[in-house]
Amino acid sequence: MKSNAEAPSVNSGSMADIAFLLLIFFLVTTTISQEEGLTLKLPPEPEQLQSQKMHDRNVFKILINSQNQFLIEGEAASNLTGLNERLKAFILNRGHDPNLSDTPEKAIISIKTSRGTDYKFFIAVLDEAKGAYYDIYAQNVGLTSSQYRQLDSSKPSENAQYQKGKEGIPMNISIAEPEKVGS
Amino acid sequence: MSKFKTKGKHATQVNTSALPDIVFLLLFFFMMSATIRPKPSPLAIQEPRAQALTQAERRELIRELQIGPRPGRTSSVIMADAKVLKVEEVASWVIEQRNTLPENLQPQMIVLIRADEYVDMGLISDVQQELRKSNARKVLYRALKGPQNSQMGD
Repeated sequence: MKSNAEAPSVNSGSMADIAFLLLIFFLVTTTISQEEGLTLKLPPEPEQLQSQKMHDRNVFKILINSQNQFLIEGEAASNLTGLNERLKAFILNRGHDPNLSDTPEKAIISIKTSRGTDYKFFIAVLDEAKGAYYDIYAQNVGLTSSQYRQLDSSKPSENAQYQKGKEGIPMNISIAEPEKVGS
Repeated sequence: MSKFKTKGKHATQVNTSALPDIVFLLLFFFMMSATIRPKPSPLAIQEPRAQALTQAERRELIRELQIGPRPGRTSSVIMADAKVLKVEEVASWVIEQRNTLPENLQPQMIVLIRADEYVDMGLISDVQQELRKSNARKVLYRALKGPQNSQMGD
């Protein structure tokens, strides 16, 4: 046995390398400034599209004219207050009210703009429609809407919650082509 | 024989255990002082505000289209990678961009539309028609988090 006259010293020269490795690892794994926005799946090309007859009660129509005025289910409106509640009642009607949807699967929210509509009014309506769906999904799994939207579907446990929330309630948001006339 | 060793002539060593700390400090300083910002846009774009925002899951799938007026002008143009595109050119731009992705990810390409809040929907829908034609149907409308109704009354 060696006598421990000298205090043993650990070679710490490679500490810097370890530090670098850690830093590079974190730099690669962290994502900087995720792009946030409203996602939408556009319908396929017009030629491939088969026109389907929809029962009037299953379509919630929102029109925006070139003066940025709203026409919600045939009623003129100057703002969107209360639209969220109306949309949720429409989607989750399940046949009770004869003017609202049969089932959540059949319910469609149709947004139609005119060519002169400002983009932000379209985004505002799209936001309301998506917000209504996310509120319903979140309620199904007992989360708040923003918690639900942050679920990461690449993680199995969160994906299960994500799928459970939207089960049986597809997000049917239709963007009709804008009217050519009156623009 | 003496009991204590006389100190030999050791080469003086600099204590380097604080070196990683210095490296860390430097790195943190540069990370904090560097601004993480995308390239400044040549267009004057004020994005609309919305509440129900979601994040794109995979950043590498995103390709960006900007739609807005040039500074000081009123008519809007479409731009991609600092090039002005005509509406008819959007489809070929999509194909070009799709080919930069690995083959298994190509159908999942997301087109990010970063448009000014006062752009006419006519132009937006023309772009959407082109995207539908070229089968790039996943669209992300870029919006900022905030109360949407703040400027609704004007």
